[in-house]
Amino acid sequence: MSENKYAVLNTRVHNVDGYAKVTGRSTYTFDVKLPNMLYGKILRSPHPHAKILKIDYSEALKLPGVLTVATGKEDTLGVRQGIWRRYKDLCDEAILTVDKVRYIGEPVAAVAAVSEEIAEKALDLINVDYEVLPFVDDPMEAIKKEAPVIHEGFERNVNVTRQIAWGDVEDEMETADYIREDWFKLGGQHHMCMETRAAVASYTPDGKLTVWTSTQSAYYHQALLAGVLGLREGNIRVIAPYVGGGFGGKLELDGAQFCASILSMKCCKPVKVVFTREEDFIASKRRTPMYYYVRTGVKKDGTFCAREAKVFTNGGAYTGMGATALYLTGFFHSFPYRWKAYRYDGYRVYTNSLPSTSMRGFGAPQAMFCSEQQIDWIASDLGLDPIEMRRKNGHYEGYEVPGQATIASCGLDQCLTKIQEWVKSKGKLPKNRSIGISAAGFMSGGIFNWFDSPYSFSSAVVTINYDGTVELHVGAQEIGQGSSTTLALICAEALGVKLEDIKVHMGDTDHSPADLGAWGSRQTLMAGNATKMAAEDAKRQLLEFANAKLGFNIIYDLDIRQGWVYNVARPERGMSYYDLCKEALRGKEGQRIIGRGFYTPRRKGMISPAYSYMVQGLDVEIDPETGHIKIHESVTAHDCGQPINTLGLIGQLEGAASMAIGFGYYEYLPVEDGKVMNPNLVDYKLIRAPEMPDCHVIEIDTYEPEGPYGAKEAGEGLTNPHAAALGNAIFHGTGLQMKEAPIRAEAIAKAWKEKQEKGTEKKKK
Amino acid sequence: MEKKLLRFSVNEVPYEIYINPKTLLVEAIRDHVGLTGTKRGCETVSCGVCTVMVNGMAVKGCSILAMQVDGMNVTTVEGLEKNGKLDPIQTAFLDEGAFQCGFCTSGMLMMAKAFLNETPKPKDEMEIRRGMEGNLCRCTGYNSIIRSIAAVASGKYREDK
Amino acid sequence: MSVICPVCKKVKKNPVDCARHMFGTGDKPHKAWFEAQGLSFIDLLLDQATQPGNKSYELVGGYIEKAQKDIK
Repeated sequence: MSENKYAVLNTRVHNVDGYAKVTGRSTYTFDVKLPNMLYGKILRSPHPHAKILKIDYSEALKLPGVLTVATGKEDTLGVRQGIWRRYKDLCDEAILTVDKVRYIGEPVAAVAAVSEEIAEKALDLINVDYEVLPFVDDPMEAIKKEAPVIHEGFERNVNVTRQIAWGDVEDEMETADYIREDWFKLGGQHHMCMETRAAVASYTPDGKLTVWTSTQSAYYHQALLAGVLGLREGNIRVIAPYVGGGFGGKLELDGAQFCASILSMKCCKPVKVVFTREEDFIASKRRTPMYYYVRTGVKKDGTFCAREAKVFTNGGAYTGMGATALYLTGFFHSFPYRWKAYRYDGYRVYTNSLPSTSMRGFGAPQAMFCSEQQIDWIASDLGLDPIEMRRKNGHYEGYEVPGQATIASCGLDQCLTKIQEWVKSKGKLPKNRSIGISAAGFMSGGIFNWFDSPYSFSSAVVTINYDGTVELHVGAQEIGQGSSTTLALICAEALGVKLEDIKVHMGDTDHSPADLGAWGSRQTLMAGNATKMAAEDAKRQLLEFANAKLGFNIIYDLDIRQGWVYNVARPERGMSYYDLCKEALRGKEGQRIIGRGFYTPRRKGMISPAYSYMVQGLDVEIDPETGHIKIHESVTAHDCGQPINTLGLIGQLEGAASMAIGFGYYEYLPVEDGKVMNPNLVDYKLIRAPEMPDCHVIEIDTYEPEGPYGAKEAGEGLTNPHAAALGNAIFHGTGLQMKEAPIRAEAIAKAWKEKQEKGTEKKKK
Repeated sequence: MEKKLLRFSVNEVPYEIYINPKTLLVEAIRDHVGLTGTKRGCETVSCGVCTVMVNGMAVKGCSILAMQVDGMNVTTVEGLEKNGKLDPIQTAFLDEGAFQCGFCTSGMLMMAKAFLNETPKPKDEMEIRRGMEGNLCRCTGYNSIIRSIAAVASGKYREDK
Repeated sequence: MSVICPVCKKVKKNPVDCARHMFGTGDKPHKAWFEAQGLSFIDLLLDQATQPGNKSYELVGGYIEKAQKDIK
């Protein structure tokens, strides 16, 4: 028997989708082609704020090849929907808008035609009479008394407010020896999935709708479509073929899904809507831009006393997942430290610009940019070691974040030590090179059910065939993050079989159990728990037959590992799992063994059942005169509990780093007068292969009792620290305190120039 | 616009198609020949997911008209495997987990293959990185892809070992 | 100079600290005091959160100072 604790966990295996993906066989919604299929195109508002007076599409209908045109007023129920279904007033978006447009790019009409080219020509033939309204595209303008009202019933355009607080901030601040306050501005960022938003909808005369779509949750879209189309959920089938990336941008109902469905319902033919890259930039949602005011009080030995933060976020035109970002940014701004008192007041403000939503990190990258930089500045002001200051105040296993969370596993201290060792090992750095570090962490799925789902958060079904192969049915959505492979590994471990024995089925609401989907880093822990439970249920049933067959003394128990059913005390004695499956099927009168599992977190605090921890270090070369940077090395000390999928973990952490560095430096997304100024890949910069540093990861061993085999999230938490680590490298190298993300080269150069000029002035005096 | 006849081969298989002369190569491959392994990710020749090889040279399929490959051989991702036997670069991608959502993967494989054909012994990792600069990936952060290419270049997958 | 919060009577070190306290509680009675002075809580809070410097706190501090004489 193997020495390793686990048979398959944390081993290098081929991704279960690997063969399909490396041979061009993986088909995405982008590739779906059905008989009799039409192509849909969307007419979008050119105005950030306007009333729709009249839509005349008579000329468009005359164009040969155009089959139908749909508008919100004529062809939809006008249902204002949103993903926060429990809060009806936050369900504010009728996708094909009925009365007015609230952002440039908002869908106004949709055309279905026999080709994309004809559909696009038809858009030019649709006349829309708008009454242009004054608009506001920044919270500072939107909140003014005289600002135009974007949504009725929301005073001052304040969409959501949130407070997270414990202790008495004022009293604790009195005890502080040193207080520092700073103001920050955080930009948006675009998901930039390689596959743009896409959907193929097929409505048939029996009243059933099938939608193929690039989504992070087939169940969410089934339920949301039911709500807006007036159909029963059970009459809607959502199929997610391979999905070309999500990153938080494909959870909400989008224009592709909605318009394709409406057009298909109108003409009873399949309709395909695929966003162009430009459409994807302007008409889908983005990371939430924020203003942050942070005031922190500490003792002179570095002990944290109190922190208060006041945050205004640019919500854009609709609520969407933005309400959750408002909440999470406030929680993670306290993370991962113990504050005697903490108070966060967050305000999400409607503006006439593209709506803000969830994006990998979900408010935490913004929160860490402010918190982790300010901590380094405080350490510097007081002459303290920034790593030791973090260690002194860090979370530990068993700590209770007052009223919010209990930390059941925490590798923060070990992470700090590893990074400290790395910094020491670097020795004296060459000129213009400096190191910045940042701590961070993240949730492993949220406890909240604002979606108002009646289903378990995650479910799984394990069915064992005659030949020992296993059908694993889950609702967890594979979007590239590796969930299918991870869940297959958990199933293989729990059942005791080989990875190649397992087939994963997901992404089809007709065949998959409901699952909240791929967001908030929930699937490893939640779907993993469901999968483990289902596999153990199936194993237990199998072992009943094994007990009978093997006839060991009652004092012996059995287990299964790598296809071998064995006496735990005498592992060489047993039988083949594959033989057992045959016996079990016969024993059950030809019925397959089925195991069921499910998981919903209960009484796990206000945010999450478990938290990952990490400390990120960057070795950066900075040319302060041009502001150009080169990241020479990235080192991460990382605690995700028990790694499950080795290659998947490495890939997710490297991918997180690339997106986080993008948030911190490359990905500038300016929106002026409600218009996205760079909606293309020439002007919106993504990091490319030559710029990406080598990433070294040191995994810290902890065990999370709530997670399957002790596992917790990996891959979203690491999107949180890099922007701050980069800022800290710039601070230590140049003395500049960069308070705006992304930290643009121009901003570094400008700040450096000003610093030099101030220095020259001082010398003159 | 009157349709024109295009004669070319794709993965060594000859095709004759009638197409609008405005048709881009990537559109001809996907919509007329029917091979959907090659994807499209932008309108500005920026992302590289449509990369194929034309007479062995890496080309972004959105940057040329299909008519321009008249008489030439186009290799797409479907042409890398031979009767089910994977090309070393594909095996390397599997071994390194050099893909996640997979949407950029076809273009990455073709670019990697073309790069290795041209530079079988890259002098360092940065040469590989520069060779792959034209291909965007949002999921992997590139490093696993670079490791795969380096592994092939090191001879790890040579059959005569 | 030490001041008393005109709403909840908490003693604060100085007018700016008291303003900080009033913004911090953000509860109905404190907000109502802002309205009574003809001040907009949300406008001042936004200014405080987005503009470096503590202009909002200082402005409100001024009103708090004036209110001291009416506090019993």
